[in-house]
Amino acid sequence: MCDTCGCGNPDEFKIHDHNHDHDHDHSHSHDHQHDHDHGHHHDHNPEHGHEPTHTHEHLPKKVISLNMDILSENNRLAERNRGWFEGKHVLCLNMVSSPGSGKTSILEKTIHSLISTWKIFVIEGDQQTTRDADRIEKSGAPAIQINTGSGCHLDAKMISLSLKKLEISDHSILFIENVGNLVCPAMFDLGEQKRVVVISVTEGDDKPLKYPYMFQTSNLCIINKTDLLPYVDFSVETAVKYARQLNPNLEFIQMSSKTGEGMAEWYDWLGKQF
Amino acid sequence: MHELSLALEVIGLAQREAGKNGVSAIQEILIEVGDLSGVEADSFQWGLEMLVKGTILEDAVVNIIRTPGKGKCIGCNIEFEMKTRLDVCPECQCFPSGITGGKEFRVVSMLAE
Ligand SMILES: Nc1nc2c(ncn2[C@@H]2O[C@H](COP(=O)(O)OP(=O)(O)OP(=O)(O)O)[C@@H](O)[C@H]2O)c(=O)[nH]1
Ligand SMILES: [Mg+2]
Ligand SMILES: [Zn+2]
Ligand SMILES: [Zn+2]
Repeated sequence: MCDTCGCGNPDEFKIHDHNHDHDHDHSHSHDHQHDHDHGHHHDHNPEHGHEPTHTHEHLPKKVISLNMDILSENNRLAERNRGWFEGKHVLCLNMVSSPGSGKTSILEKTIHSLISTWKIFVIEGDQQTTRDADRIEKSGAPAIQINTGSGCHLDAKMISLSLKKLEISDHSILFIENVGNLVCPAMFDLGEQKRVVVISVTEGDDKPLKYPYMFQTSNLCIINKTDLLPYVDFSVETAVKYARQLNPNLEFIQMSSKTGEGMAEWYDWLGKQF
Repeated sequence: MHELSLALEVIGLAQREAGKNGVSAIQEILIEVGDLSGVEADSFQWGLEMLVKGTILEDAVVNIIRTPGKGKCIGCNIEFEMKTRLDVCPECQCFPSGITGGKEFRVVSMLAE
């Protein structure tokens, strides 16, 4: 529907649970839009003078004062998710980035190193396929795949439905890998405690300027694929400078999920979030 | 261009609130879009008008008010106007410590019969 990023009907999505049992949860939205044509005949009974028989027809226009945040329904569900995470002592992280920055690779490596000390769960968001959830399961953590169809972001409702399927234990880490897209996911709170934006050095160091909202709403920025720095025109210093202008509190970790650079720093950061 | 998914959120909100208020058609909807909200007001309005067919907003006039962006200077603490999220303080060229206006994205009111 949306020609640039594929925004579509947010109710069109599927959740694949880790048993691959193909019992897709289809969420249906019913637009209760009936045509209530009750045929109001203006039969004024002379005995009753001009007293209207259908009083509602003569009501003045009604102003419905709302002052409601357009994302309030999503925000309400996100707060519920957040409360659920806090109650269970689950650290939930929302990982956002452009397509292909290395989110799944970082998670694979993280699971490999930490699965013996932490319980880890993953929710994968992609428009199509269960490939990323399959990769995660191979590395040893339970994963659930949400396919957003033409939708270009995860929302809080999709997460709360997935939480019911993925039996998350107390005192665990839940990683949510959002759909590769730096625009829409910025506006949709999922209830995470921290948001992590991943950029890779092949993307250009002006990325923060182009997608300010994403950098403004994140807590940590991972600069990935640093093993490729010798081959590309990417200045880490410039990227950090731009991102800090937008968000003075943003933290940074330089990483290569290929060579392992920065992984120890990332595990430290995760430990500090509890 | 995520304005279409946001337009769908507006339709959902209008439908829920109209239901609560027992009205079946909306004549006018007033929406506030801040200059720093991350929403492009023109494409949002265009998207909304395209998607309302068959919904409670089908015949509604969409009015949009824009709120200017404002930030608080991290250096001299004054509030200054921001056209983009990268604007600096006109007095001391510092970046803002936070956005103080222009992040709004909300439905102010609806007019029903
Ligand atoms: N050289 C190098 N390549 C990497 C690194 N991390 C990931 N890659 C490669 O980048 C490509 C994309 O990696 P993924 O982990 O699938 O990226 P993603 O962000 O999950 O991608 P989407 O889910 O499609 O948005 C793969 O070919 C990875 O092997 C890295 O640190 N260095
Ligand atoms: Mg991936
Ligand atoms: Zn979008
Ligand atoms: Zn100043």
